[in-house]
Amino acid sequence: MSRWNPAGGTLCTPRGPAPDQPGPTAGPRRPTPPAARVRGLRKAYRRNVALDAVDLDVPAGSVLGLLGPNGSGKTTMLRLLLGLSRPTSGTVELLGQPMPGGAGQALPHVGALVEGPGFVPFLSGRDNLARCAAAEPLLCAGTVPVAVHAALHRVGLDPAAADRLYRGYSLGMKQRLGLAAVLLAPRRLVVLDEPTNGLDPSGTRDVRRLIAELHAAGSTVLLSSHLLTEVEETCTHVAVLATGSLVTTGEMTELLEADGPALEIHTSAPHAALTALRAARIPGYAERGLVIADLNDTPPEVVLSALVHADVPVAEARRRRMGLEDLFVRLTEEGA
Amino acid sequence: MTAAARPAAPLGRLVRVELRVELRRPRTLIMLVVLALLPVVIGLGVTTRGPSGAMGGAATGLIAAVTQNGLMLPVAALGVALALLLPLGVSIAAADALAGEAAHGTLRGLLLAPVSRPRLVGIKAFGVLVVAVLEVSVVTVSGLLAGLVIVGGGGQLLTLSGSSVGLGEALTRVVMAACWAVPQVAAVGAVALAVSALTDHPLVVMATVLGGAIVFGVLHAIPSLEWLHPVLLTSGWTSLADVLRDPLPTDELTHSTLLAVCYLTVGLAVAVIGTLRREA
Repeated sequence: MSRWNPAGGTLCTPRGPAPDQPGPTAGPRRPTPPAARVRGLRKAYRRNVALDAVDLDVPAGSVLGLLGPNGSGKTTMLRLLLGLSRPTSGTVELLGQPMPGGAGQALPHVGALVEGPGFVPFLSGRDNLARCAAAEPLLCAGTVPVAVHAALHRVGLDPAAADRLYRGYSLGMKQRLGLAAVLLAPRRLVVLDEPTNGLDPSGTRDVRRLIAELHAAGSTVLLSSHLLTEVEETCTHVAVLATGSLVTTGEMTELLEADGPALEIHTSAPHAALTALRAARIPGYAERGLVIADLNDTPPEVVLSALVHADVPVAEARRRRMGLEDLFVRLTEEGA
Repeated sequence: MTAAARPAAPLGRLVRVELRVELRRPRTLIMLVVLALLPVVIGLGVTTRGPSGAMGGAATGLIAAVTQNGLMLPVAALGVALALLLPLGVSIAAADALAGEAAHGTLRGLLLAPVSRPRLVGIKAFGVLVVAVLEVSVVTVSGLLAGLVIVGGGGQLLTLSGSSVGLGEALTRVVMAACWAVPQVAAVGAVALAVSALTDHPLVVMATVLGGAIVFGVLHAIPSLEWLHPVLLTSGWTSLADVLRDPLPTDELTHSTLLAVCYLTVGLAVAVIGTLRREA
């Protein structure tokens, strides 16, 4: 018995239920538990505290971007989540399993690329991937070559490149091979540490596409990055670390509109615009040649209609969002 | 409630892949070639220069005895290889097994697959054992061929005790020497694997094993430390020459084998503990 694997190979029927997935006879539907949950997490290396008092939920089905300056504890956090390292104190749950004890249950459903790709230099990319596939519990005997082929294709490594020795790979090819290893089996959670490291623009676009595909297929994606535009474009949720503490976490849109929703209006007649807004009882003010209309109680359509009916020439109007960069700088440099 | 069956990759598949990687590693192949050439070099040296050439270590007497006595060459070659090359070869394999994998970042991949940590040490230990067996076999077989072809000796083995035994008995003695050497080399491998489990740097493993061999040699040379000699692995290696005596003395061979088993057990235990506690 096997079921079709979107990654290409056929899968072994798992013995026993996958962790955290209620069987068909389970009772009333509960809210989906988070893909990963961290409570009171602390990791200290001798005197050096890498993480302290971190509480974080990675909602199931989300794409969560873990942001932070260099040395803020992003990789330490991912290593603790994956059971590669033991917390000094606090608890870690991955797909409902306590880590690192439940690694055997949780990790078959998790694909991870942490601290850069790691492969054997004297084997070809394909042989390296076959070696990784041989260790994958969910891949049946005989399906390994198919899974390897499909994963190579998915990350855009052509057969000629796949048959070259890993020793001769460029940074971008190594990164692609690392991503291929993540995609060998279907995953409920994918953890990517700086996935676009060393990739050219087309590689970066491929990674963005892969993340979107995984997200669409229902996988949870947790990625760490310091490329803010990358995170802003791909993630639904954000968590920001600074010097070992979690400074904020939440949905991207909520965080970026933390100052309250507002409409930026470009107009050649700001005075007329402000008068019109006041007449319509919409709070607004002028700022750097723009007119800002508060959207807390008013939908944008009403604002625009009020302006147009007052014959105010509106050249451009758009929702004001704080850039992720502004948010990041404000959160990580506050009080520093 | 019974524990849910944890999914795991089949053990046979993991072992097969491990051995394939081990045997495709260039340094393993080079080491095997060097070990195959060693008896040939000794054989050529003995036949062209005579037994007067100076060779260090316990094997000197053996090499002198090889002249006109080809069936002694595999045992003499094992003695010479045991002094440096066999421990070196097996510790290279052990260094790559855990520390080298950690240095390449591939250990993380195996643990994330996941392969459980006790299983990982088991597979790695088996890989090192296979290398030990291969290396001893290569020296023995090459020694036997070189002895028969280069040195000759007419199918008779002149023992160190002065008597001579037939081809059948001589081959038994050679096989016995090889079977004695495997646990000795494997013991070095187990100690190397233990160090390998405790570090991310393969060079540390090599340095520890070779440094350890030198320290053991020095301790062995100090007469006032004679009470320590029975627990030094390398001190037992002089008993290899016993397989060439008639009748066969077994006391020292047995003692050195038991000692090797002790080193093997302790080494594996430390390797398991080190891997369980490891931050990958």
